[in-house]
Amino acid sequence: MVSSSPMRQHVETGQKDNGDGDFKTELLALIPFLRAFARSLTGNQEGADDLAQETLVKAWQSRATFIPGTNLKAWLFTILRNQFYSDRRRAWRQAPWDQDAAERIPGGGEDQIFSAQLSDTARALRVLSDEQREALILVGAGGFSYEDAAAICKCAVGTVKSRVARARKALMEILDGDDTLAGVTRPAEGDAAREIMAQLDRLAPPETGETGGKRRPK
Amino acid sequence: MQWDNTVSNDEKPNEKARAIRARQRAIGRELRRMYDDVAQEPVPDDFLDLLRRIDDAEDARTGKKVS
Repeated sequence: MVSSSPMRQHVETGQKDNGDGDFKTELLALIPFLRAFARSLTGNQEGADDLAQETLVKAWQSRATFIPGTNLKAWLFTILRNQFYSDRRRAWRQAPWDQDAAERIPGGGEDQIFSAQLSDTARALRVLSDEQREALILVGAGGFSYEDAAAICKCAVGTVKSRVARARKALMEILDGDDTLAGVTRPAEGDAAREIMAQLDRLAPPETGETGGKRRPK
Repeated sequence: MQWDNTVSNDEKPNEKARAIRARQRAIGRELRRMYDDVAQEPVPDDFLDLLRRIDDAEDARTGKKVS
């Protein structure tokens, strides 16, 4: 006799799957978004698809802890993100490297080989900190609310808001170089991150409010 | 870059703020495009195979338990 978990409130069909079939159908439908989020985290296709597949397996194994009626997409993204950071921590332990250097170099680390194929925006995204990048992708591309993004990233809503705002400013600086409005110039790659930090300091004094990047319509 | 605070302090910042917002919107569109491009790719067979394997494992497991 199979007793269904109290978390799983699906209608009993009398068939063998107790709603697992539904769960699987929903997983299938969300695979494209898992791949897209994974791609933005890893910066390369192969690593991203491995990550998305690991996520599917983890999600399937943990399906009893998913509360039906809550946001499955956000639940899956949380698993994917946890998996990404735990895989990477493991990789660091196995092959220590200079993280600071990797973060200064666009396309540094594992996605170096692929950077030639990436658009300017994709490359600029690699320069952002992990925290800024994931916040910007979730809110700016994935369509998540600040609240859902905060739950996925395990931080406060205000923290997500400020990360997104900083990420947007930083991306613009990276893409547009010294002259924010030129829209065409591209900084020399190695100098990009240092240059952004310097520009952020100059352009975004703590009081803010003047650049428009943070201003939100009511 | 510094504003020239000795001359008209009103118009330039507004213009600049507008231009920045327009640029931010363009970057936002590009981010969504990148994300949507991946999301619109057909799901690779590996993924479908993986879900099928999960199925098989599940059949084996529940088959054992139910009988």
